[in-house]
Amino acid sequence: MTAAARGSPTERYRRERPPVSRECGDELTRITDDIDDPIVKLRYLQNALNQKDDKSALVQLVPIPPARRAWYRLKGLRALDAVADANEEIAERTLAARQTARRVVVGASAAAMLFVPVLVAIVAWQVNRWRSEPEQVVSVGSSTEANASAIESTTATLVVPPTTTATLNSPASAEEAPVNQPPVAEPLAAEDIGIVPSMLWVADRGPGWELYSNGLRIETSYTVKGTPRDYRVQTRDGKLLPTKFDRPIGILFHTSESDLWPLEPGYEQELRKGSAALLRFVQREQAYNYMIDRFGRVYRIVDDDSRANHAGHGVWSRGDEVYLDLNSAFLGVSFESRWEGGRTLPITRAQLIAGRNLTHYLRQRFAIAPEMCVTHGLASVSPKRGLIGYHLDWARGFPFQAFGLPDLYSQPLPSVVLFGFNYDSEFLRTMGERWPGLIAAEKQLADEARQRAISLDELRHERQAQYRRWRAALPTPAGPEPALETPASQTADKRG
Amino acid sequence: MDDRNDHGSESSGSGSHTGQSQSGTRTRIGLDVGTSKVVSARGDNVSPTTDSQLNAFFDVPYSALHEQGLKANRTPFYREDDRLIVYGDASEKFAHIFNANVRRPMAKGILNPHEPQATHVLETVLGTLVPVSRNPGELLAFSVPAAAPETGHELTYHEETIKRYLKGRGYTPLAVNEGLAVVLAELAKEGFTGIGISCGGGMCNVAISYLSIPSLTMSLAHGGDFIDSSVGAVVNEPATRVKAIKEETLDLTREAGDKIDKALHIYYDKLIESLVDELGKAVQKTPKLPRNDQPMPIVLAGGTSKPNGFRDRFEKALRRRSWPFQVGDVRMASDPLTATARGALVAALAER
Repeated sequence: MTAAARGSPTERYRRERPPVSRECGDELTRITDDIDDPIVKLRYLQNALNQKDDKSALVQLVPIPPARRAWYRLKGLRALDAVADANEEIAERTLAARQTARRVVVGASAAAMLFVPVLVAIVAWQVNRWRSEPEQVVSVGSSTEANASAIESTTATLVVPPTTTATLNSPASAEEAPVNQPPVAEPLAAEDIGIVPSMLWVADRGPGWELYSNGLRIETSYTVKGTPRDYRVQTRDGKLLPTKFDRPIGILFHTSESDLWPLEPGYEQELRKGSAALLRFVQREQAYNYMIDRFGRVYRIVDDDSRANHAGHGVWSRGDEVYLDLNSAFLGVSFESRWEGGRTLPITRAQLIAGRNLTHYLRQRFAIAPEMCVTHGLASVSPKRGLIGYHLDWARGFPFQAFGLPDLYSQPLPSVVLFGFNYDSEFLRTMGERWPGLIAAEKQLADEARQRAISLDELRHERQAQYRRWRAALPTPAGPEPALETPASQTADKRG
Repeated sequence: MDDRNDHGSESSGSGSHTGQSQSGTRTRIGLDVGTSKVVSARGDNVSPTTDSQLNAFFDVPYSALHEQGLKANRTPFYREDDRLIVYGDASEKFAHIFNANVRRPMAKGILNPHEPQATHVLETVLGTLVPVSRNPGELLAFSVPAAAPETGHELTYHEETIKRYLKGRGYTPLAVNEGLAVVLAELAKEGFTGIGISCGGGMCNVAISYLSIPSLTMSLAHGGDFIDSSVGAVVNEPATRVKAIKEETLDLTREAGDKIDKALHIYYDKLIESLVDELGKAVQKTPKLPRNDQPMPIVLAGGTSKPNGFRDRFEKALRRRSWPFQVGDVRMASDPLTATARGALVAALAER
């Protein structure tokens, strides 16, 4: 908590203040759970939350959660001293808890000291590796010769999914040689002014960043390599295509579901630290491929060739193809924002522009079809409960039009049409109303039930059984898992 | 008050309702300065002693006979020129006798700017509950409403007027948000995390508290008075009479009976809907909501929340909307009329 945010003694019970971080709150709650006397409890909380030696900002910089929690515990326990004098039991507990917390901090510090030299060595190695790499260019044009050479360089093991054109069955091409691809992204919205380059290429790059010809700048200092993409595609008639794919076929848009500080002068430090903490978190969790902060900075987190843990049990479909392993098949692009009060909080203009440029770039690079640029809220399901909307980020309000993309809120929802997923009253309460695509999907399902003279419930039951069979047929990591509500790929923190 | 020849019941700081007020003992006080009532709580937080006084007055023309009658009945009053001002609980009785409405020194949670007697009556009513402090600088926590769009500078004036009066009586005043006071009184077990809602006479106050920090405070400038005056207007009865019927017979779990009952049901629903709507808007706007995975308990307090069935109607309206936090159980305060004062007392006792 900053000094400004701390309440003055006469104002602390009447002025609104930003809440403490969740970790700090959890620690304080844990410590105060056993205090029965409301006066002692309140005195303790006020002491802990209004300490003059304000080190909360520093605590946020501690990268290891156990150490951070231990710090909060120490800080909280110091405040307990102030109220412990009247209560022997509390004084004893304080002493014991502080000793434990000290041990954790000392242990964490020792581990950190060992870790630093290793980290320096890794960074040095990475820098050397980057310097030795040849300059690579991703370009877009219409040169048929280049396309031909790209086709020739296609290998048997690396192919793009069948939705892309035959000339694009060369996933290695973008990395290994300059490849000209036909522009597949639509032009930006008509109200935009200024010249848009017809081709996309790397205009410049430096340590920790890349600049593209459409103005997109990607910060690469947080980039990590994850598990290589490896997925298979099913067809609507239940056939599992034999080909393994290792290039993304779509983009899944998320929100970070993180704390949002007001975009106002005076909150610079909180905004900066909030974004930095978020980046560290998503890097550690390999949560997304890209993250766009509130000032429109684009960070590559998990490299494009690797799967990120962003989609959980998502379902999407295009034409005859059905995708059940969206972590592998889709790039995860997250906006620093969150779902709140039945909607996604508005993103900033800077985020919108950056998101649009990034989408343009990714679509060009991987030949991604517009109807494969989807939001997490549209694809997310809970297999165990047979319900849609397990995650709701961008379940409404994604600016498809501003991104030059078709409005997928009006397209029948694949999870409902293909697998009979349903929704409950909680979902309706949260959403307020169904979106047109959901209504259309339900109508399709109902029509089919009527044609087959079975009840809608029977049809849903049949379709969900089909979903489980199809899922079971997939190789891991997307494999048979409807029994698992929160697998490793589906974060438990309700992040978007 | 001597110059006004007050025949009141000014608190002496001793007696049955003063709790630990022996000489030398620190006696902290929590005060709920409400539009309709002023409630005090003192003693310890486990079994505080509470007292209340109607925050209202009624004036009658001066005559020696009237004055004699008031004195004989030990009715608190003072003389102001050619008027006799009866204040506190007794004012309502007089209003009934004259089939008229009491006057209020406060409206919509703050000093009534249209009432010339406001400051003096409020101070007189406060004086009946707050004795002159025996320990100079003793802490007294009093409730203040959250700022509403229509009560900006007036709220500052209201708060400063009370502070000055209390300082004059030897206290160090500490302002506590009314909704937060409900949390402090009722949600100690939950670590002072939850939503406190005080539905009073002039307004409804809400505070979302996380570990005793008010992260969102808001108020709706409608309360019991709004219901009384609206119902009074449509059934052509004085608001004071409507208030009496409301407090004695209203049961929101039953089908509405007569015309007044029907109107009361309608305006209660209207108040609840407005409150939930405003809370929804405030929650949407604020960037300060706590990130808490635990369900947020909600406590209802204040005289307007007392009718049977209010809690159920409020909960229904609340759960019809979506919220960015988990709504926990919705409960009534253990004593809705004194919750704010008891919460203020907790704040006063927790200060060193």
